[in-house]
Amino acid sequence: MPKVRLRRALVALLALIAIYGIAAEIGRGRLPDRIWMGSHYVENVQLLPTFGALAEEGTFLLESRILAESIVASSRRVLIGVLLGSLIGILLGLGTGWAMRFEHLADPWVTLFRFTPALALLPLYVAWFGYGETSKVLLIATGVAVVALLGAHQGVRGVPRAYLDAAASLGAGKRLVFRRIVLPLALPAILASLRIAIALAWVTIVVAELIDAKMPSLGYLLALSGAYPRVPQMLIALATLAALVLVFDFAVLLLHARATRWMKRTAS
Amino acid sequence: MRAVAQRPLLWIVSLATLIAAYAVVASVLQRPDVIPPASDIVETFRALVAAPPPEGAAPMEGHEGHHHHHSSDQIETLQQERVTLPASLGISTLRVLFGLAVGLPLGILIGLWMGASRRADDYLHPIFVLVRSIPPLALITYIMLWLGHSEAHRLIPIVYAVATTAVIPTYHGVRDVAAKYEVAARSLGAHGSLLWSKVLLPAAGPAVLGGLRYSIALAWMTAVGAEMLMADDGMGNFLVGGGMWASRLQTRSDPAVIIVGILALAAAGWAMDAVARLATARLTRWVR
Repeated sequence: MPKVRLRRALVALLALIAIYGIAAEIGRGRLPDRIWMGSHYVENVQLLPTFGALAEEGTFLLESRILAESIVASSRRVLIGVLLGSLIGILLGLGTGWAMRFEHLADPWVTLFRFTPALALLPLYVAWFGYGETSKVLLIATGVAVVALLGAHQGVRGVPRAYLDAAASLGAGKRLVFRRIVLPLALPAILASLRIAIALAWVTIVVAELIDAKMPSLGYLLALSGAYPRVPQMLIALATLAALVLVFDFAVLLLHARATRWMKRTAS
Repeated sequence: MRAVAQRPLLWIVSLATLIAAYAVVASVLQRPDVIPPASDIVETFRALVAAPPPEGAAPMEGHEGHHHHHSSDQIETLQQERVTLPASLGISTLRVLFGLAVGLPLGILIGLWMGASRRADDYLHPIFVLVRSIPPLALITYIMLWLGHSEAHRLIPIVYAVATTAVIPTYHGVRDVAAKYEVAARSLGAHGSLLWSKVLLPAAGPAVLGGLRYSIALAWMTAVGAEMLMADDGMGNFLVGGGMWASRLQTRSDPAVIIVGILALAAAGWAMDAVARLATARLTRWVR
C-alpha cells in the first residue's frame, strides 16, 4: 500500500475514534438516560458510553473469560457451518455448472432454497432437529451452501468455450479438462462467493443463537446486553462480531491469494 | 438444440420427484408434527389466507363442519391475533421495498463517490470496511434504545444491509470499468455532468444492477430476521407466531405453518428477483 493511502486510512480511523470520544463526552449527562423498554423504564442507560466505561466493561468481559469463550463457541459454529455448507454447495455448483442435465434436475430445488431467506428455516430446523447445536450449524450450512452453489456454478459457466475446445482438440479427456482447466478457472468465483457466504453466516448466527440461548455465545451475549440494557457490553459484542467477520474475510482473502498465485497479475 | 427441449421436461420431472419424495417421507414417517402431509399444508394455507370470522359470530359446529381440519397451537395463536398470510407478506414486502428505496440510492451514492474520487476512497474505505462488517441484525437492540419501540428499528437494519451491499459493485463498476473510458472521454474534452451522464454512469450501470439481485435477497433476509426478533406483524412474526421477543422462539411451532410461510417467502423473493432481472435486461440492452 502506498504511503499516502496508509496515512489517509490512519487519519480516517483516528478521526472516527476522536469523533466518537468527543460525542460520548458531550452526550454524557445530556442524552436521556431513562429508557422506555416497552413495558417499563430503565434508569442509568448510557446511550454513548465513554471510553472509560467501555474499557471497564471490556476488562470485566476479558477477565471473566466471557468474551473469549463466546468468541470460541460462536466461531466454532460458524466455522463448522461454513465448512459443511461450502463443501456441499461447491460440489453441487460444480455439478450444475458442468452438466446441463444435472442443472435442469437441480433447478427447482435451487430456486426454492435460493429465494428462501435462510432465517425463515430456523423454526423448521428447530422442529426437525431440536433446539441443540445441529439446528444452528445446519442453518448456517444451508445459507452458505446456496451462495457457494451459485458461485461455483457461475465460475464453471464463466470458463471460456475456446479453452474447453482447445483442450478437447489436443485430446484431453473430460476428467483432465475438469481438473486442470475448469476447477482452477472457477476458483476465484467460488472464493468470492465464500466471502459473501461468511458475512451471511455471521448474520445468521446472531439470530440462531437465541434458540436455547446459553452462555458462551456472542448472539446471546448481545441479546442479554439488550435486555438489561447494558450498552457498553452491547457495543463490545458488536465490535467483536465485526472483528470476527473481518478475520474470517481476511482468511478467505489469504486463501484466494494463495490459490490464484499462478495467475499473472499486473502490479496495481 | 436438444438440451433446450429437455429443459422443461427435466424441470417438471424434478419438481414432481421433489413433491413425491416429500409425500413418501411424510406417509412413511407418520409424524405430522415433524413432516406434515401435503394435505395439512394445504389446510394450513387455507386457514391462514383469510382472517377467521370474529369470535362469537361463528359457532364451533360450523368450524367442525369442514372435513378434516388441521389445527395447532401456532395456527390458533395466529388466528387469535388475526394474522393472515397475505397481510404478513404485504407488510414484509413493504419493509423490503422501503429498504431498497432508501438503501439503494444511499449505497450507490457512496459507491460512486468512493469509486470516482481517489481521495474519498482512501479516507472512506477503511471506515466502510469496519461498518460493513457489523451484521445488520445485531444492530436492532441498539437502534431500539435510541429510537424507542417503533418501525425504525425494523427498517434501519434493512436499509443498512441494502446500502452496504450496494456500495461494493458500484464502487468496482466506477473504479475498474468506467475508469478506462474516463481517460478517453477526458482527453476528448468531456467533463462535469457530460462525463457523468454519458460515460461514467452508463459504464458502471451493469455492475450496479448486478448487485441489485443480491441486495434484494439480503433485504428479505434482514426483514424476516428483524420481524422474528422484534415485530408483531410481517412474515417473521408469522413464522414464529405469537409470543414476544426472543422468548417466542421457544414456543412450539407447527411445521405446516412454517412450510406455508417459506413457500410464500420463496415465491415473493422469486417474483421480486424476476422483476429485477427484467429491469436489468432492459436497462443494459445497449451493452450487447
